[in-house]
Amino acid sequence: MKKLLPLIAAFVCFWANVPVCAQDSGRPVVAGRVTDSNGEPLAGANVYVRGDIKNGTSADVNGYYFLVLPDIKEIFIEASFLGMKPYTVAYTGQKEIDIILEDDSNMMEGAIVMGKQNINDVDIRSKSGVISTVDVKRLQDKPVVDMSVALQGAAPGLVVTNRGDLGSKPEIRVRGNSSFREGDAANEPLYVLDGQVISSDAFMTLNPLDIADIKILKDAVACALYGTKAANGVIEITSVRGTNGETMVTYSFNGGVTLRGRRGVLMMDTDEKLELERRLQNVNAPGYFYSEDYYKRYYANSPDLERMIADGKAKLDELRKTNTDWFKELLRNDFYQRHNLSVRGGNSKTSYYASANYSYQGGQIPGNDVSRFTGRISLDQALGKKGYVSLSVNGGYSKANSPNSSSYSPTTLVYDLNPYESPDSGELWSYPNRTYDDLFYQFERTSSEKRFGATGSLNWEPVTGLTVAGVVGLDMVLSESQDFTPSTAWEEQRSGAPEIERGKLSRAKNTLTNVTTNVRVNWNRTFGKHDVTLGANTDYYWDATDNMSITGYGVGLLNTASAINQSIEGNRKVSTSNLKEKTAQVGVGVLAGYCFDDTYDIFGTYKADASSILPKDKRWNAAWAVGAGWSIKSYFKDWEPISALRLKASYGRTASLAGVSPALAVATFQYLEDSYGDRRLLELMALYNDRLKPEQTVSAEAGISLGLWNRVSLDVGYYNRVTEDALLDVPIPSSNGFMTMRRNIGILSNSGIETAISARIVNTEDCRLNLRFSLAYNRNKVIDLYDGDRLYTSEYSKIPDFEVGKAYDVLYGPVSLGLDPMTGLPVFKGADGSEIPATGTLKREDMVALGHSVPPFSGTFNLSFTYKNFEFDADFYYVLGGVKAYGYTYVRDNDDANKNAVRGQVQNMWFEKGDQNKIYHTPFYSSAAIENLTLYPNSRSIGSSDYLRLSMLSVRYRFSQHLMQKLGNFFKYGNVAFQASNLFTVTRYKESDPESGSLVGAQQPVLTLSLSLSF
Amino acid sequence: MRKSIIYVMLSLAVLPGCLDIKLESQFSDPYAITTVATARELLASAYNSIPRFQMEFSILSDDFVPTSYASKAADLSNLYRWQEKAIDDLSSQVWNSYYLTVAYVNALLPRLDNVVPKDESEALEIEKIRSEAKTLKAICYFDLLRLYGPVWSEGNADADGIILKNRLELDFLPRSSMKDCVNEIDALLSEAASVENDGTSVYYLSSSAVNALRAELELYRHDYKEAVRIGLPLLEDAEGRWTPTDYDNLWSGNDSRERLFAPYIFNTFYVGLNYDRDKGDYFALNSHVIYDEGDVRKVWCEYAGPQEGVINLGKYNRMYYENTDVRYINTIRYSGVCFTVAEAYARDGRPSEAIALMNRYLGARNAVLLDEGLSGEPLVLAILLEKQKEFVGEGIRLFDLKRLGKPLVRYGSAGNSTSVAPDDYRWLFPIPASEYRYNDKIVNINPGWPKQTVD
Repeated sequence: MKKLLPLIAAFVCFWANVPVCAQDSGRPVVAGRVTDSNGEPLAGANVYVRGDIKNGTSADVNGYYFLVLPDIKEIFIEASFLGMKPYTVAYTGQKEIDIILEDDSNMMEGAIVMGKQNINDVDIRSKSGVISTVDVKRLQDKPVVDMSVALQGAAPGLVVTNRGDLGSKPEIRVRGNSSFREGDAANEPLYVLDGQVISSDAFMTLNPLDIADIKILKDAVACALYGTKAANGVIEITSVRGTNGETMVTYSFNGGVTLRGRRGVLMMDTDEKLELERRLQNVNAPGYFYSEDYYKRYYANSPDLERMIADGKAKLDELRKTNTDWFKELLRNDFYQRHNLSVRGGNSKTSYYASANYSYQGGQIPGNDVSRFTGRISLDQALGKKGYVSLSVNGGYSKANSPNSSSYSPTTLVYDLNPYESPDSGELWSYPNRTYDDLFYQFERTSSEKRFGATGSLNWEPVTGLTVAGVVGLDMVLSESQDFTPSTAWEEQRSGAPEIERGKLSRAKNTLTNVTTNVRVNWNRTFGKHDVTLGANTDYYWDATDNMSITGYGVGLLNTASAINQSIEGNRKVSTSNLKEKTAQVGVGVLAGYCFDDTYDIFGTYKADASSILPKDKRWNAAWAVGAGWSIKSYFKDWEPISALRLKASYGRTASLAGVSPALAVATFQYLEDSYGDRRLLELMALYNDRLKPEQTVSAEAGISLGLWNRVSLDVGYYNRVTEDALLDVPIPSSNGFMTMRRNIGILSNSGIETAISARIVNTEDCRLNLRFSLAYNRNKVIDLYDGDRLYTSEYSKIPDFEVGKAYDVLYGPVSLGLDPMTGLPVFKGADGSEIPATGTLKREDMVALGHSVPPFSGTFNLSFTYKNFEFDADFYYVLGGVKAYGYTYVRDNDDANKNAVRGQVQNMWFEKGDQNKIYHTPFYSSAAIENLTLYPNSRSIGSSDYLRLSMLSVRYRFSQHLMQKLGNFFKYGNVAFQASNLFTVTRYKESDPESGSLVGAQQPVLTLSLSLSF
Repeated sequence: MRKSIIYVMLSLAVLPGCLDIKLESQFSDPYAITTVATARELLASAYNSIPRFQMEFSILSDDFVPTSYASKAADLSNLYRWQEKAIDDLSSQVWNSYYLTVAYVNALLPRLDNVVPKDESEALEIEKIRSEAKTLKAICYFDLLRLYGPVWSEGNADADGIILKNRLELDFLPRSSMKDCVNEIDALLSEAASVENDGTSVYYLSSSAVNALRAELELYRHDYKEAVRIGLPLLEDAEGRWTPTDYDNLWSGNDSRERLFAPYIFNTFYVGLNYDRDKGDYFALNSHVIYDEGDVRKVWCEYAGPQEGVINLGKYNRMYYENTDVRYINTIRYSGVCFTVAEAYARDGRPSEAIALMNRYLGARNAVLLDEGLSGEPLVLAILLEKQKEFVGEGIRLFDLKRLGKPLVRYGSAGNSTSVAPDDYRWLFPIPASEYRYNDKIVNINPGWPKQTVD
């Protein structure tokens, strides 16, 4: 209870809005904030009284510090931070001292540069390379359990698209897809944590509070040091390290609720649904089956007709008593929590950091949740005056549950179940022969990830200007999943398998191991105005996949692999599989940079990599880049309005082996699970292409940075990334035995503009207001196809999937002229202006471009407002310019009248001749009549997928030092906050979710209260 | 201190090791197919890929008539009605799967040359593998030719046959002439026959199976004497194989001496005919396929399903009803050789030899014997009717109907009927769009079929 007291006191003060002012009581105190020249907080900066470093403190994550001063006369307060010039200020009784530290580009001789964990993060690289830094603090403020989901909107050009339910990996792309091939294998960026390559699965489970810094490397110059692995961009993560100061223990807690989120489609209530059913005349729906229409039609001459009608009416009245809102019934509000404890400290020789984190987030649908535990320890140790070693170990365990399988998702029941049905309805009209219970407990998936990583690095500066650095790291992720379909599941009951063979269980274990070693030698020397850097490195990456799985039947209701009935023969026989693959890459690189008078700089790098994936003769591939920059500011040094002005440009070429496996280039065989008689089946995996070459990515970049009055900064960059020899699985004549072959088929490009403006609107002692706006535009285009101008990936397609000169994410379809009032079927507009009926044949010329399926524009708007101890932050994320086809799965016709329908369908559907201005076509049709509707989207069946999302909102109150003192200086720092993520999404898209296209993938709002205390 | 740092750095720099990493659970050239065992396993995957369209081909033939449930399976009903789209869909599956088997054989044959035998028995085994692989390829070509080419005649010798694919690597090939195709099949089978192979298991192709195929090919190209010459020796001890027990065993996992070649199957087979175990099948036996009381074939060809008054197909269909696993697909049987030789006799103007042979078979089946006075076309028709009764539902009849050149009756749901004329374009399966649309060389499509326009 005693421990809780300060906590309660803190809350009381917060809610009572106690006026804040620091008052002396005993020893003098001073508080303030340490920031860099851009106003960014410097977390971990040391603040101390000169000559008395033990009496120091370090700033919290937001740069705030609080220092109790000794009772002496002359006090100088000093602040220092790695890579910054120390700053000293005389204490003359100020209550608050804000400190701004400047970059220290000329490190003092002999100074030990601690903190640079990533040895590829060479200083000269950042001059001409395009590197976006993620505002990690905002990331940490977002109550979202998955690191990669939280990254949405973090940097222009980094596009994160949510794809599935909570716990599933989103799609992460840096400047679009660089390949014709879709999917992560070919387009995913490279993830590097403290200089060591990690898998995207490992990245997803990192604890955001352990991260000090995330950089998004976009252009060739920035990426080239990573060689051929980096063709799709790099996400470089640096972890939080210890500090040179006294030990600080920080505990933070976030707790709150997760909400159901956006409803998307409004469904019918009972009255409208029964009326719709009457009109659709399907006897399997009660609205018709019990209607007067039905009895009059089928029992017109029955003497009991009147009684039947009356009975039917009574049945319908009974149904009308129920009006279930399945959105509320099936989806739920759940909770979110995050506990984080960290210890940080050290001295000028040794520093350490340790943390433990637990988080939990509940998903929309019962049975979907994610929980995670992570831990991290890191240690930095100086080696004499000329070197230091860093060690870190991190681990994590996360578990995700989901009731959604690839073939069955209970979330879709929101649209299927009728409002007159309830969980206790017995047999359902919407699912004949099934009850509510037959719809649930159909499937259960538990997946977990156990992650372990260890990194050791060594930096050594034997001679001034010469650094030798090495890193060795291991990253392992053990992913396990268990899929269970109980014998009572509908699917199993209907399988025809005898009782003892029912119940399916699959278990899979996949171990992914990444090993990185990298040794780099760098030499940097300044001769007067000349600054020269030379460097070389050699690196080795090794990765292994070990995938084991077992699938068996006859488990009944037991969710365990040991219950598999191993006596079953035939196609329900227990099966096992194993895939073990290792690949390795070795590389040698050189770099050179030159800077004159801090004004002109050029930088070049070349790296040759050999990979085990390709046969010997194709093994070596290169990545090179050159860049140049010009700081024009030096020409008008004294002209205040322009505080910074810099131009830069770069060009580079990288080979890429993303998504290439040995089976594609040489004949490769593997064993199948089945057998032929007494023999195993050794099968050829694919039709190999002995002329396969790696894709080549050529990127050019130009950018300008402008600073005005030290308040506004503007960055504009243009890029053009061309992928030559782009690979795709293209159709080949089927007499070859295989339908497709991966071939180098053409050239594509991604080009675009990325802009960011940030402004410090107000910047006074008490009040700060910062705004930031970013916009990224990406446009893709097919530049060339080696075999003709068009490529059709299906033999029946009329519209080419790829066409020279056109974007490859465009949706094509006919222009719809609306419904014909006489037939109730749509009429399309032909290329010659003619009207084509629904049953007509559409030609290539009749198809028009309806829009981009990948939104070309995306960006953010961030707002930060600080007033005294209050902080307000909001992040908006938007995408523009995309379209998505509607599924119309919830618009019912005669066949599926027994499932619930979209509200308004009775008004908007064509039912009889003469119905004008209707949206939905006739429910009575033959399948041939709507073939054109099902094959192609049309101008009326698509909607804009633009949306604006309030992705983060945070209101924080920072406890004043006065309050801290009142609490007996038990705490050093503390704050409480209200934090929320995905509070709302504004969109014109009329279906479930404009981002993922499904209700399952809709991001749920999370509202939390958080408390953070440092001791 | 300084020294140790240097050592650490050096060891890091030296770490980059060898990049010749062998795959662990996959096998790449040149290490993949180096032993007799792996060659046999690769052949096993070719065997396993033998296309299984027995049910679809039977629906296209006159083995079946639709039941009242036929409308529940739109695809199968459309196929039964010989709807253009349905045949086109089936055709692309047929084409792709036969050529996949051809590709597997093409993957195996050149790699066999790299297998170094350890002893003489291994050398012999390599030759057997080569022989079986060639036979397998011949089977694929022969089925394809009979589906996609016109009926064989001297006048059609230069007509378009199928694509002959001699290597695994990507090719863009035109169709070869009928003559070339038949010669290629003949060459493959002759080469295969030159290796003595007694066939250790019924799911491997033995010399006898090769000869059965050769006899059938000779009958196809109207060389009746050759058909008899090759086929007849196989039937020497046929009575010992046509026992009721052996017949029963055909529809089980047990051994049956009737089988010449029966691919092994791991998965379910022939499950598509059934609508619902408690309700019945989409298609039932055609009424002209009737068995006399006591006919050994009746027990396994007819199955009284749940639908009253409807006689369903037995065989694999009955095994599905009774939840019996299918282990062997009875593809080449001694009775089939009998029909080949008998038809060759009949067409070669030797009716008495034909009837005598047929009656050996019919006697063993305990069926009514053929009338001694039959000759000419009535005899051929009688032989082929018995053949249909033996092989009903096994997809053989379609090939015979095409050769016979008779109109094919199709029944509608209301008892109405239409017929497919002997010269109807649909007797030649359409060359699938997946072939001609991506083939730079001009691949002639079969006449009458619509062509996907490419712009």
